[in-house]
Amino acid sequence: MFGRVKDAMADAAETLRQAFAGLTVVAVAPEPFLPRSHGSATLAAVGLTGLEPPVTACREMLLLRDATEGKALEPFHALLHDEAGWATWGAAAEVVRMTPLEAGHATRVAMPPLPRKAQALGRMEPPFRPIPRRQLDPLTNPGTRRLDPTLAGGGVEPGLEAMLSLAVPIRAEDIHQLPKGMWMRYSLQLVRGTGENVRNLEVLGLFRIPRKGVADLRHDPGLGRILVRLEASAVQAPRAPFILARRKDDGGLVSCFVEDP
Amino acid sequence: MADPIKLAYFMAVKEGASYLGGLLVTDTSGIPLDFRYTEPITPTRLQSILYGKSLEPHLKEEVIQKTLLKELKTPPDLFILSATELAGGWSGEAKYPVMAVQKSQESPLAKVGDTFRAGPRELLIQLAEGAAPLRVMFANSVDAAAQEQAVVKLLEAGYHMDLAEPLERVTAALQSLVVKDA
Repeated sequence: MFGRVKDAMADAAETLRQAFAGLTVVAVAPEPFLPRSHGSATLAAVGLTGLEPPVTACREMLLLRDATEGKALEPFHALLHDEAGWATWGAAAEVVRMTPLEAGHATRVAMPPLPRKAQALGRMEPPFRPIPRRQLDPLTNPGTRRLDPTLAGGGVEPGLEAMLSLAVPIRAEDIHQLPKGMWMRYSLQLVRGTGENVRNLEVLGLFRIPRKGVADLRHDPGLGRILVRLEASAVQAPRAPFILARRKDDGGLVSCFVEDP
Repeated sequence: MADPIKLAYFMAVKEGASYLGGLLVTDTSGIPLDFRYTEPITPTRLQSILYGKSLEPHLKEEVIQKTLLKELKTPPDLFILSATELAGGWSGEAKYPVMAVQKSQESPLAKVGDTFRAGPRELLIQLAEGAAPLRVMFANSVDAAAQEQAVVKLLEAGYHMDLAEPLERVTAALQSLVVKDA
């Protein structure tokens, strides 16, 4: 393909060369330049003895006029040199010869790849970013205490004396449940023991109480029982049948231990 | 001759913030054979918090009762406590039957010695002529056979004594001891 372009360019250059090959340069007397204006003022050049060098002051310099840097700047002086153009302006024209096109050297430029990922701009940073800090001093382990919740039983005290200070109710046995012979034997012993006439006695009950150690004895007619207050010796004393009776004539109480058959 | 029956009556009372208990051993006439009581036990505030509602049952059954029973030379034939204590879930020991006795308002049974079973662990016993029968409640640890054996002993003891009365004596003795210590 480059060969064709090269040939085309060569043909074009040859054509231009042949087209301009017959031209001759003719010297033309320069004519004064006369402006052809309609009613406009004639352009005239005023010759001065000398041009005052214009002072160019840009706005920046004006701003810096009073500043120290502005004062230090040298003013710009324009110098007038020879101007040949004015003389040759209308007298001659310069023929510019164009150099024919030549084949150049083409270099291949690699295309930079497109970025695969568009960069997002304007992304806001997180408003708050915690800064981890390290506690250099570790927490000390708390001490462990132990409180024993066990409930101890405590001491045990003997309290038999205190218990014996309370009256002990003893229920009467049902004499009607006794065998008749046994009850006859008990009645005989009651008469002998109290010396009372059996017809004058009303039996209140048959009780089994300690043979000794009875400190006090009271009859509870409402419940048919006796209340005894005992001493410590009564605990180990044998139990024996005890008959309590009331005299019918004076209401007095009589009692005696009887022997088991 | 068989050994005399021994009845153990246990009662624990709370006086102020302290607990103390007493154990009375009687014969079949109700005459004291032995009586022991514990020193007052005052739980700390921490113990009260840690034990919670189980504090009182634990104190009475595990601490006071066992401490008192250790002092007995021979185990009792019957271990009797109040109906309130038994209703609180008393487990008891297998060595002896644990029961509660209570005077009832029921009509008398036909004759002395009659029993009426009101439940698997509850029965009525007629101990005195014309009187209201005695209500007996056994602990969970007492099986049917042990209940029958216990009823025989209760009838024998009830012929001579008021089976429920000694509990009142234990309570009165403990209160008198507390007043004396104060």
